[in-house]
Amino acid sequence: MGEAGADPGLCTQIAAMMSAYIDGEVGAEEYQFIAVHISQCPPCGEEEHAQRRIQALVVRAVRRPSAPVELQTRIRTILRSLGSLGSQ
Amino acid sequence: MVSADVDDPKGVDSGPVGDAELAAIFETDALAYLDQLYGTAMRMTRNPVDAEDLVQETYTKAFAAFRSYQQGTNLRAWLFRILRNTYINSYRKAKREPFSSSAEELSDPELLEVSSRLPGGVRSAETQALEQLGDADVIEAMQAIAEDFRTAVYLADIEGFSYKEIAEIMETPVGTVMSRVHRGRKLLRSLLAQYAYDRGLLDEPREGDEHAGAKKADGEGATNG
Repeated sequence: MGEAGADPGLCTQIAAMMSAYIDGEVGAEEYQFIAVHISQCPPCGEEEHAQRRIQALVVRAVRRPSAPVELQTRIRTILRSLGSLGSQ
Repeated sequence: MVSADVDDPKGVDSGPVGDAELAAIFETDALAYLDQLYGTAMRMTRNPVDAEDLVQETYTKAFAAFRSYQQGTNLRAWLFRILRNTYINSYRKAKREPFSSSAEELSDPELLEVSSRLPGGVRSAETQALEQLGDADVIEAMQAIAEDFRTAVYLADIEGFSYKEIAEIMETPVGTVMSRVHRGRKLLRSLLAQYAYDRGLLDEPREGDEHAGAKKADGEGATNG
């Protein structure tokens, strides 16, 4: 084992947690640990970068359409015709 | 104190005041999520007519159940859960799409084995190639992965839900959400790499997601026997 990044077992573990890390879903200590590792291990840094780019691609591609105005009108009408909650 | 006659036409004041108030609260608070629910419904059903029906049914059901909804809990997650359940119960059944949870039960070591291993320089080329894919390819890849994974990725990346909220929506443990998001992104990435390869943007179709034990490392992972 040489410099940073030369521990395949550790890098494998980090890779398994990368999504959770990127989403801020790991604990503070884990987060710190992974952040430090990534800053010292170029391949893991590359991995993080790649995953963020994929996410960005998804966000770019999936545009949310707005609901048609008449759908909103229709739902309001239905809700009002149903009247008070649980009264039917 | 909320006035019972907020924005109410005739018809809603038939029940006790509390009910009318609740109805008004529901209309105001729940309808604020209409665009988000519709967007998700569009993604699920893939056509506007079904999406509208699905959203309408979701609101009708949510309205009927709103009395049992605990004020102060997460309304958005609650609505998304009803949307998803409605979709699963009505639409997916109708389409006879198989419920696709099986793959997620893979244990972590199995998950890790799915991927191939490439040195860093190749991954970088991969990322560059993927950037050149169009939105249509990304959408196609999203549609191609199993619904459980797609939904988890979508809720995290597009709707910005936390894993805990996604767990509520999908009625599954947080650990499963974590695995679905992770696996979903991996599948997505490997599909996109395949598309990029098909279009001649990439020399190597398989994506590599860990460099651990990469070919160059000590020759340890070399395939000679």
